[in-house]
Amino acid sequence: MTLLFWVVSVIGFVPTQDTVSLEQVEVYAPPLDRFAQGQKVVKFDSELLEAYAARSLGDLLQEQSPVFVRQYGAGMLASPSFRGTSAGHTALFWNGLPINSPSLGQSDLSILPVEAIDQAQLHFGSSGALFGNEAIGGSLHMNSKTDFRKGFRGKIAQTFGSFGLFNSAFSGGFSSKKFSSKSRFYRQFVQNDFSFRDISQPGTPEVKAQNAAAEQLGFVQDLAWNLNSKSQLKAAFWWNKADREIQPVMGSNTTDQQSDESFRAVLDYFRFSGKSIWNLKTGWIQDKMIFNESLNQTRQFFAASDWDFSKGDRLQFKAGVRGTFVQGDLSTYSATDQRFEFYQSARYDASEDLSLSVNLRQFAYLDNFVPFLPSIGGDWKFWEGDQQEFLLKASVGKGFKVPTLNDRFWSPGGNPDLLPEESVSGEIGLNWTKTGAFSWDQSLTYYRMQVNNWIIWMPQGSVWSPENIREVQNQGIEYQGKGNRKIGLVDMEIGLSYTFSQALDLTSEPTNPRQLPYTPKHQANGSLIAAYAGFSLNLGTFYVGQRAIGTGNARVLDSYQLWNAGLRFSDLKWGKTRFPLSFQVLNLLDKDYQVLYLRAMPGRSFQLNLTIHL
Amino acid sequence: MKFAYKNQLGVLALFYLLVACNDSGNERPLGAYDTGVLIINEGAFGANDGEVFHLDPSTGILKENVFEAENNRPFAGLLEDIVLEEERLYLVANTGKVEIVNPGDFKSIGSVIGDLDIPRSLATAQGKLFISDYGPYDASFATPDSYIAVVSGLDGGTVKKKIEVSNKPEDLFTVGKYVFVAGSEEGKIEIIDAETETVIKTIEVDGRPVQFFEERGDLWVYAYDSEQVYFQSFHLSDLTKKEYRAFDISNATRSIAFGEDAKMYILTSTGWPDYNDGIAVVSINDGETLIPEWKTGSGFYGIGYDKERQEIYVANAKGFQGNGQVTVYSKSGAEVNTMEVGRGPSGFVFR
Repeated sequence: MTLLFWVVSVIGFVPTQDTVSLEQVEVYAPPLDRFAQGQKVVKFDSELLEAYAARSLGDLLQEQSPVFVRQYGAGMLASPSFRGTSAGHTALFWNGLPINSPSLGQSDLSILPVEAIDQAQLHFGSSGALFGNEAIGGSLHMNSKTDFRKGFRGKIAQTFGSFGLFNSAFSGGFSSKKFSSKSRFYRQFVQNDFSFRDISQPGTPEVKAQNAAAEQLGFVQDLAWNLNSKSQLKAAFWWNKADREIQPVMGSNTTDQQSDESFRAVLDYFRFSGKSIWNLKTGWIQDKMIFNESLNQTRQFFAASDWDFSKGDRLQFKAGVRGTFVQGDLSTYSATDQRFEFYQSARYDASEDLSLSVNLRQFAYLDNFVPFLPSIGGDWKFWEGDQQEFLLKASVGKGFKVPTLNDRFWSPGGNPDLLPEESVSGEIGLNWTKTGAFSWDQSLTYYRMQVNNWIIWMPQGSVWSPENIREVQNQGIEYQGKGNRKIGLVDMEIGLSYTFSQALDLTSEPTNPRQLPYTPKHQANGSLIAAYAGFSLNLGTFYVGQRAIGTGNARVLDSYQLWNAGLRFSDLKWGKTRFPLSFQVLNLLDKDYQVLYLRAMPGRSFQLNLTIHL
Repeated sequence: MKFAYKNQLGVLALFYLLVACNDSGNERPLGAYDTGVLIINEGAFGANDGEVFHLDPSTGILKENVFEAENNRPFAGLLEDIVLEEERLYLVANTGKVEIVNPGDFKSIGSVIGDLDIPRSLATAQGKLFISDYGPYDASFATPDSYIAVVSGLDGGTVKKKIEVSNKPEDLFTVGKYVFVAGSEEGKIEIIDAETETVIKTIEVDGRPVQFFEERGDLWVYAYDSEQVYFQSFHLSDLTKKEYRAFDISNATRSIAFGEDAKMYILTSTGWPDYNDGIAVVSINDGETLIPEWKTGSGFYGIGYDKERQEIYVANAKGFQGNGQVTVYSKSGAEVNTMEVGRGPSGFVFR
């Protein structure tokens, strides 16, 4: 257990979260990293999530993690790239349900508002054994967090901002010893009529963005019951609808519209007995996307069960099975898919300082068996001093991605003979923590990965068709550090991270492999927070290095560095009511930049947030 | 052979140099781009990274992104066509604009922005611009509202009129006051009177007409369908059909290059799923297919013929994943040169 504490405290931002106890004060959520020894995990703390509540998961990841987010404009499609892999190589989970679209094989981070979740965690590297399909570059886990015995709670939040930003959120909950309920509703709107220099026009005039407005509505309901002292039922429901105008690329005057609507529901039953926990899980996800007038719809049903048990003080096991049933009704085809997977994990705590885990998974879809997926990892605390500790982490694992429904069945062009994409990755990391007046957590990770059978859509005459053609070799170094120090009455917190990511395309030019398109070699983040008596001042920056827009010797986009700054008063109170107020300036220096070629991004903007906690 | 050829090029270069130095009267000095080969790189959908590369065949020097280099801004569009008329170079972007540059130095002299949907090509007539445009896509990706946009001045400006034509107009060709329109989807040649800006006559032809050319003093149009290619010429006196040729070449595409002796190099592609590309050679002089498979390969996306050096340029889009490639062949089919160019190379302008 000590070790787990270390994993959390060293890498994550949450300094003192211990393992989840089985007393049913909290609504139970299986810890994700219990069998993830040797793997890099980043947890976002609740304070940070609250600060990003009115923004999207894409903003959070870009500004606060080593993940590169490919943003097709402000509020437009944003897809994650972990360790030089593509958007489809990231598995996304909400309360344990995989939520990537089965037809697209990826998620749009812009339409996953931080408002809808309470916890977020990143796992790096290929962990097909632990998480299944699409966990090649990494995975992102979002969860609701609710408690028992907390009585009534409520929150009203309102954010006003530049470019017509108007976000509202209401949440209310009640919990007793036996029952817990939390409801939240949000609406996020932005006109996105920001000014930018249109470099596609003669004289590069300053123009206002057209056709870029976005509105999102959502409702989340979390419920939990303590059925008796040994069993708990938990349910969550999330409806999200995003209506967006699609901001045209500079030089085009398209007026596309896109509407995305998702229903997600999950029901968990936990039975606790002695040293074991039995979980029965069912889930339902329905995604409906209308692009202009073309309708694409998918439905997924999940049924899973696993059994988590420990033997003695040193051995822990988990074994489970999951079935997924997919129905896709896309604009050009209809198809079904069934997926079955069996998984097993084991962890051995050899001593207080050393723990090892082994994970295995067998996956099958339609008539295909994905090769057996193992992973192995270990954490070793090899040095412990008075205030300092060093932890060594190492792991190796495989990952895979089943070809998406579109890859296999899109008409015309779909290729039913595609093989799954496969990866092998390994990493080794060193964590150094220090407690005391000047405390820090620092980690340095080296990773290496090979992805084969990477699927690329290629033109075949006038029809595009996917093929297993690309082979990519990735390696990189990730540094993350965070330090805390009190200077007088001021609490200072400093955060720094740097990522070097090499992702070589071995396919286009095997003798002279080059970096994959839109994969920066260098990325860095920094943040500084100074807090005093309920006031806090924050300054953040992130840097994204050069990236090519295509394979080969293609055009290279400039690097950019953006600064954000903010002020927060968290101690404003009236009776028992707390009403924190915060003010943020994004893109403080009004930098003109593009994440993707010719996709205009906003300059300096302001956001004012008032929250009332009842 | 290669050496002799290089010498020839040297002589040619010398000749140009002399011409350049000896300009007199109204002739302007030759600019950097008045000689050589302009390579049209269409760019990738959604990226708008179309650009022009310039090749000096005598030195082999390839200059990238010419538009951006000379104008300090990217072209920012999908480059569909380049038309050299009235001492102006018209760069037609199917993403909705026409950029007009000076052919010698590529400096911007005007544009047509706004009011265009999917422009395909352009012709000048009577001091006006005529721009073929598919018109907007409807819900089922059809283009029922195709038009020819008219702009009053040769240096661009706003669209003053849209002349309704048959679906998917492609190439335009001006003869006197008439603008011929290749109406590709419905197999129609529509003739516009440039003065009245109205369609005065429609001629039905076989296949999908896409490209006009002059041969033996006549105006011809190239058309194709899945089985055959067709060449139709016109009487300009009464605007009627004149000569007609058809060849059994299956899977022809719109890409064609015009060689000597009325020899035509046509790109063919079986398309999805087998996807074999090739180049067929025909001659409208002898009326027989000469070579059905002059070259075969995959990824062919454009073709051009350099009459001065008697070389065939074949563009390969390399799946649009990044840079494309251009391979230069001699008339005999021997590979002369190969080079990495921009994204989606689709055609050439030989100066």
